Amino acid sequence: MSKYWVITKEVYKKNVKSFGFAVMVLSPLLVFAFIAGLTYYFSQEEQQAPDVSIAVLTENESINQIFSNEEWGFEIEKEIGTETEAEEALLDESISGYLVAEVENGTIDAQLVYTDDMSELLPIIQEALSNYQTMVRADQLALAPEEVMALSEPVMIDEQYVNVEEGSLTQEDFSDRMIQQGGAYFVSIAIMIFIMTYAGIIAEEVASEKGTRIMEIILSSASATNHFFGKLTGVMLILLTQIAIYAVVGLGAWLYFKDAQIVQDLIGGVDVAAIFQELMGYTLIFFIVGVLMYVVLAAFFGSLATKMEDVNKAVTPIVFLALTGFYVGIFAFTAPDNMFVAVFSYIPLFTPFVMPFRIAAETVSTFGIWMSIIGTVGFAIVISFIALAFYRSNVLIYSDTNLLGTIKRSWSIMQSNKKAKKLNHSA
Amino acid sequence: MLEVKDLTKTFGSLTAVDDLNFTIKPGEIMGLIGQNGAGKTTTFRIILNLLTPDRGHVLWNEGYLTTKTFNKIGYLPEERGLYPKVSVENQLLYFAQLRGKKKSEIKPLIDHWLEKFEVKGKKTDKVKTLSKGNQQKVQLISTLIHQPELIILDEPFSGLDPVNAELLEDGIREAQANGASIIFSSHNMNNVEELCNSLIMLKDGKPVLNGTVRDIRQQFGRTKLFLESDLTPEELRQFPGVQRVEKTNDGIDVAYLTETEDGKAIFDAATKNGYIPTFSQQPPTLEEIFKRLAGEKNE
Repeated sequence: MSKYWVITKEVYKKNVKSFGFAVMVLSPLLVFAFIAGLTYYFSQEEQQAPDVSIAVLTENESINQIFSNEEWGFEIEKEIGTETEAEEALLDESISGYLVAEVENGTIDAQLVYTDDMSELLPIIQEALSNYQTMVRADQLALAPEEVMALSEPVMIDEQYVNVEEGSLTQEDFSDRMIQQGGAYFVSIAIMIFIMTYAGIIAEEVASEKGTRIMEIILSSASATNHFFGKLTGVMLILLTQIAIYAVVGLGAWLYFKDAQIVQDLIGGVDVAAIFQELMGYTLIFFIVGVLMYVVLAAFFGSLATKMEDVNKAVTPIVFLALTGFYVGIFAFTAPDNMFVAVFSYIPLFTPFVMPFRIAAETVSTFGIWMSIIGTVGFAIVISFIALAFYRSNVLIYSDTNLLGTIKRSWSIMQSNKKAKKLNHSA
Repeated sequence: MLEVKDLTKTFGSLTAVDDLNFTIKPGEIMGLIGQNGAGKTTTFRIILNLLTPDRGHVLWNEGYLTTKTFNKIGYLPEERGLYPKVSVENQLLYFAQLRGKKKSEIKPLIDHWLEKFEVKGKKTDKVKTLSKGNQQKVQLISTLIHQPELIILDEPFSGLDPVNAELLEDGIREAQANGASIIFSSHNMNNVEELCNSLIMLKDGKPVLNGTVRDIRQQFGRTKLFLESDLTPEELRQFPGVQRVEKTNDGIDVAYLTETEDGKAIFDAATKNGYIPTFSQQPPTLEEIFKRLAGEKNE
């Protein structure tokens, strides 16, 4: 086994077996389950709301019938027959309001006395009474049921959602855009969470090895290149493991629960396959490149720290970069056409956060998308090698100066090594 | 065989190592002494290829050190560190694998090494559960278990009690017997005197002492005289060349001479009545030489 793989395996094994990894994997699942449970609970709560009782005072049997239907979301207090009784019931809060209704010459004369509890029921009652009035009048005019239907039929609108693009109108499915924007939103949050987590992991890996001088043993055993890329690979494998666990859990849960009422209630109208497709496209590329890029940066900044305690300080620049990207992304969500957003979407460090929103809003051409992908990948490769070059000398500096001071010293060691190599060659 | 030739390394205006030369043959131990910041760790780092020298070179068996040579090195850094959450066994296996060994080669050796260094704790224990001394031993084992041919120990004795220091000395001697070339730095001159075939003292990157322990001591002359006789300290001070006189706890007078030759007149005077229990003229100890050289101002 090459040393590169020895290092990769060690990083992977050590982390995956740790308690922290279990917490890291489980906590989003728990949060998700909690939110789903809460959503379900409230939706159930809403459905079985008929805590409200009202009294209906009418001579008209049909009106009585209408309101006896359980679907209205309130109960009818049938014992109450007069306004006096109703007022008393209102006073002792056994009902929330009462309706007095009479029909005269096809016109319903209704009076509703109600408290706060009932305010939401107003349109429902009005609609029910209006429908009944329509029926009564239709009857008077001797209209057939078909004729009534014809009269009350709403106008059908053929919707065409279009996009103004380069002087022409392109038709577009509105739900597609919703899904794309949702996907972009999801990715920017996921990138943020994964960057924070994995940047922390690798920075800690590097800083702890440096702080404990294990680094010196390792770098006298294997090349810095092997170590740096072995660590990166190990951490990326941990990331893939986490995603794979979610994929398996998600798929399992989907197969098991997809027909369950609760799932139907929650995601009834959502096209899961379409979301999945969306996530598998550009979004996945941006996710992977984005996390990789930030993990490389984290390894670099981690190697600047002298002690474990300094890790948080060392990764602060990354946190700020990621936050900037994240907020520009959120801004892009509302204003995808903005010039500022367009510029940021081509800055490699911010591309993964911003570009998905522009793709969703279709304010960027396919050429532009690929340009940004190539730019981001290229940038990730370049910073990997810059980080590696610094890494070699960073890990030998144990100073208490600030990050810039450490970078400066690291640079001078690099230069002195380079100069020395040249001299040795020419000698 | 390790050969260090004309080694010079500067960082900006600071010369960390200045024209250093030495050779360590198989089975030889060299001590590297010097104050903090004298250039010991930089020397080790250049040997380990972590730093590139401005001038000169390091040869191992007449070739340059490459990643292949890494497998033959055992290195103990000055500040000790292990992975706290990894078991003793996995730790040793990992470092040995990084030195190109297979797991199956090292696994059977672990029990033997833990026993040899009297490590208290099981090999399945996590490192952080061991005491500091035992952790240090685990690290020593990881430096030696892959049977390196070049062993570099940066302050290996610091923090060890006398019993453990002796275990370490035994370990170093065993590696020496197996033909390893060993270089170590130390602040404890006793360890250096006991173990080393040769030594180098660095001061501001420059070698100020270089040779065998005996030769180095001799080159300072037998200027320290231990004397038990009828002569009083006052009388002793009157002799030419006597700089100062001290009395040890055992009642022995110690006279510091300018030159070896100064002892003769004292010997004649002290023995004029015949037998005396002590007359011993010694070169200064390494520690005295160290202190003397370290204290000297640069010319």
